[in-house]
Amino acid sequence: MGEKRIIEVEGLVKHYGEVTALDGVSFSVEEGEIFGLLGPNGAGKTTLMEILCGLRRFNEGKATILGFDLVKDSRKVRGMIGFCPQETLLYDLLSVLENLAFSASLYSLNRKKFKERVDFSSKVLGVGEFLNRKVQQLSGGMKRRANLAASIIHDPPIVILDEPTVGFDPNIKREFWELIKTLKNHGKTVLLSTHDMYEADELCNRVAIMDKGKIVALDKPHVLKKTIGGEASIHIKVKDTQTKKALKPLDKYSHILRDNEIQIFVTNPWEIMPEVSNKLISQGILTEKIEIVEPTLEDVFIKLTGRKLTEE
Amino acid sequence: MDPIIGVAKKDVKTFFRERGTVFWTIAFPVLMLLLFTAIFGREIPFTANIGIVNDDKTTPIPIAANIISGLNETKVFNVKIFENKTEALEALNATSIRAVITIPENFAFNLTTGMPASVSLVVDETNPDTARLVRDGIRTFFAEFYREFNKNYTEPISVIEESSITQQRIGYKEYIVPGVLCYPLLFSSMVASTGAIVYERERGTLKKIRASPIRPLNMLFGKTLAALFQTTISILIIAVLAVFLLGPKVNWNIPLLVPIVFLGSMNGIAIGLLISCIGRSPQEASGAATTIGIVLQFFIGMYFPLEYLPEYLQQVGRAIPMTYAAQAVRDIMIRNAMLSDILQPMVVLIISAIILYAVGVLLYKRWVEKE
Repeated sequence: MGEKRIIEVEGLVKHYGEVTALDGVSFSVEEGEIFGLLGPNGAGKTTLMEILCGLRRFNEGKATILGFDLVKDSRKVRGMIGFCPQETLLYDLLSVLENLAFSASLYSLNRKKFKERVDFSSKVLGVGEFLNRKVQQLSGGMKRRANLAASIIHDPPIVILDEPTVGFDPNIKREFWELIKTLKNHGKTVLLSTHDMYEADELCNRVAIMDKGKIVALDKPHVLKKTIGGEASIHIKVKDTQTKKALKPLDKYSHILRDNEIQIFVTNPWEIMPEVSNKLISQGILTEKIEIVEPTLEDVFIKLTGRKLTEE
Repeated sequence: MDPIIGVAKKDVKTFFRERGTVFWTIAFPVLMLLLFTAIFGREIPFTANIGIVNDDKTTPIPIAANIISGLNETKVFNVKIFENKTEALEALNATSIRAVITIPENFAFNLTTGMPASVSLVVDETNPDTARLVRDGIRTFFAEFYREFNKNYTEPISVIEESSITQQRIGYKEYIVPGVLCYPLLFSSMVASTGAIVYERERGTLKKIRASPIRPLNMLFGKTLAALFQTTISILIIAVLAVFLLGPKVNWNIPLLVPIVFLGSMNGIAIGLLISCIGRSPQEASGAATTIGIVLQFFIGMYFPLEYLPEYLQQVGRAIPMTYAAQAVRDIMIRNAMLSDILQPMVVLIISAIILYAVGVLLYKRWVEKE
């Protein structure tokens, strides 16, 4: 990753009538990183991305892409971005190759460059096997790959992905994550939005957690988890009838009971866990599950907002 | 709830929530009925300009003057007097008059002495309906005039019809083929261009286009080229079928027809693009395009002359660019018009296309910003 700031956003405000979708958003994205916008639906992620892609105007603030002003140099900026929205924006009756050709024409790509990019899409994004098939004949996963290929056919330095894996089954999701990592390996700077904490954790070098149009936290995922999400905890599940009995020997530890699961918060869970286990055994309590759980970005979000990521 | 009722209920609710769609659904029958009432629900006050050439210079009594005043009194004809037949026929070919009556030498003498008296008549045949009305009106007038003039004579005034040198008698198919050829200017071009943008919006692909550096004007030109292609196909099919099925005796002056049809199509496409930028939903835009297309066909002289319309509707027709295209196509095909004859409609079509595109770009920019 370079130190160069590719995207810089300062105090961005966007109103839809009475509703404030973005409320003074500021952040920067560095060259070659995968930057995630994590937040629930309605947090303002899509509005922010559409503003950066020149699809929406904003009321206040400033944004630059590679040093070019988003408003003054909008055409130049649009040429530097490959935008892949949630929905598949392909023409069903055209083949994948024809769709790629159309997208290339929007960016005035010459024939040689187009051929190079089709080769790239075929080899790296794996669209080669269905290049000449009509979009309406493709599976969901193929369509997403073709959609991504069409979005970056002009070889942009920045790729903006809005909820790239929403609605995917786990296998295709994982396959798509690999594609996104590949883009990073090819030198692209990726800005992606998601409400999937695992996706953000797996892919992003840095994550901005958004809620109600604001960035409430921004850092590397492990830093966020450690500083805001708290330490790892021991989670114990015993038979429902023995839960009350199990709490007694654990009194000396800081603990809570949530969803019939005992959660113990200590600074050294790996050292304490054998001791806890022995105490329960000595009391004749059978554990169904005992594990150390690391904090997640979900925990970070809950700590910051008091709500789960999946809540509206 | 029964699923059929559920589906129907949802669609009806959606319909009522799209105010534009409701508007065009109501506007279409209202406009059609108002239009039909305005055109056909009245006594059509037909009037036509005709020319008279009086070669009977030695007439002892002012018979020619009586004929002229008598024709004017019918309120069907406005009479213009010409010095000679050549001038009158030029006016006929320029469509400023619909017929030329020539009163020959010795007409009054023959009429007053009981000798056979005749006048010659040349009628503008390029519109069969108008020609029939003019011909019947003039024949009836001379029959009446004769009876009024001298009831004692048994030999009536003969009206001998001549053909114009430059005009051939044409049938209804010769009249209608140029009109039908203009059909795609209105429908194919307008509906194709409206559909082009509406489709992108409906599919969401407009977002992809807007996120790219393409300029709004280039986007509209791209859409125009595609719509032009579709319009060209429609025109070619109509032309080929017209030749083989109807075989009209018209002048297929391709070098003159192509630019006129092209300019007419550009105007139709520009209007379609405007509609697509105004319509808030695909249903609204296509409803508007279809309604406007169907209504406009009565105004541009495709099927009947503009003069058939009440004066205020004629003014509406003159404000529609395609009227000039339709008239120019008819002039080329029926009147053998030359380039100099169609320069004025060409200029009108070029100017209107430029204005419509300029408004289209402004509306498109405003529209995409609102998205």
